[in-house]
Amino acid sequence: MLCLALIGCEGIDCTLNNVVLCHYSFYGSQSGSLVTLTDTLTVTAAGTDSVLYNKGAGITGVDLPMSYFADVDTLVFTLSGDGYGTRSTIRVEKTNVEHYESPDCPTTMFHYLTGVSFASTVMDSVVIRRAEVNYLQDENIRVYFHTDGD
Amino acid sequence: MRIYGYISILMVISLFCLEASGKTEEVIPQAPVFCGAAVSVDLAGPVMKAVGTRFDQLECGARLNFRDHYFPVCELGIGESDREGRTNNNKFHARAPYFRVGMDYNVNKKHNGNRMFIGLRYAFTSFSYDFKDPDFSDPVWQVSESGLSLSGQSARMQWIEACLGFETKLWSFLRLGWTIRFKKPVHKKFPEQGDPYYVPGFGKYGNSTFGGTCNLIFDVGRTSKKMNKK
Repeated sequence: MLCLALIGCEGIDCTLNNVVLCHYSFYGSQSGSLVTLTDTLTVTAAGTDSVLYNKGAGITGVDLPMSYFADVDTLVFTLSGDGYGTRSTIRVEKTNVEHYESPDCPTTMFHYLTGVSFASTVMDSVVIRRAEVNYLQDENIRVYFHTDGD
Repeated sequence: MRIYGYISILMVISLFCLEASGKTEEVIPQAPVFCGAAVSVDLAGPVMKAVGTRFDQLECGARLNFRDHYFPVCELGIGESDREGRTNNNKFHARAPYFRVGMDYNVNKKHNGNRMFIGLRYAFTSFSYDFKDPDFSDPVWQVSESGLSLSGQSARMQWIEACLGFETKLWSFLRLGWTIRFKKPVHKKFPEQGDPYYVPGFGKYGNSTFGGTCNLIFDVGRTSKKMNKK
């Protein structure tokens, strides 16, 4: 049995959930609780032609990739409804840390959020909830939208 | 791992030899307090290097012999891993020395030249390694920068090893021995970018691992034969 235990082949042992995304959750500024967007949301990366999130509706948050090498990501949130549309900009400052596990596994980039700012008529505030952006798909940034009564 | 498999088969064979030779031994002589010293070289490492395993090591050791039961041991070696990813172009390279100190206890009460050991080691290494991913690029933001080359990543690790070993006398002062070892890290300091694929002396890094040695041992000073004549 000892011999059998020692003779074996090496498998490729990589983390299955190896996608690094920054999770944005949407909250109402007055209630302080999660809100569901009734408008259609599209998120693009400023300065590129990349569409990070396309035409989502009825959502309470989005998972967005971050740039590997830039210190600042500028995201354009476009909310469009019936006959109207509005654009908001969120600027995320961060540091980037390469991450590897084994030669067999894909290399990726982790991030550490250092600051966030925004320019918007529909957003009340934007705050960092968890600075580490890695394989744990947890809430990283809270976006508080103006809700009725604000 | 296949090498360790062969070693473990040899260990089982040597266990039978040990038991078979023990049946003819009836008088157990009293061993002196200091029974000599020995130096050893590991034969498994060069074989691993020759057949091109994922990692290999060159290792030697020295030990003292008290009462033919207690064997304080120190071992040192150089471990090396030069590895490419099987499904990508990633490259990992590390080459560094490692050290172990510990004690073996011979559970064979008869001084017939055969020994069965249980032992403990404290081991440590300080090393640097390189990791390269020439295809590393941003898949979404698609900036021009690409490729990852992390050279001289500094790391340290300490671990303990629980050993089971067998040893038999080949000729006069020459012995052959095998050990199988369970290794467990106790302290480590790795770069924030990630854990190294390989730790010299430990093997492929993980929460625990198995390893082994196949030692050619040279007795220095009193041998078992001289001891039995006393």
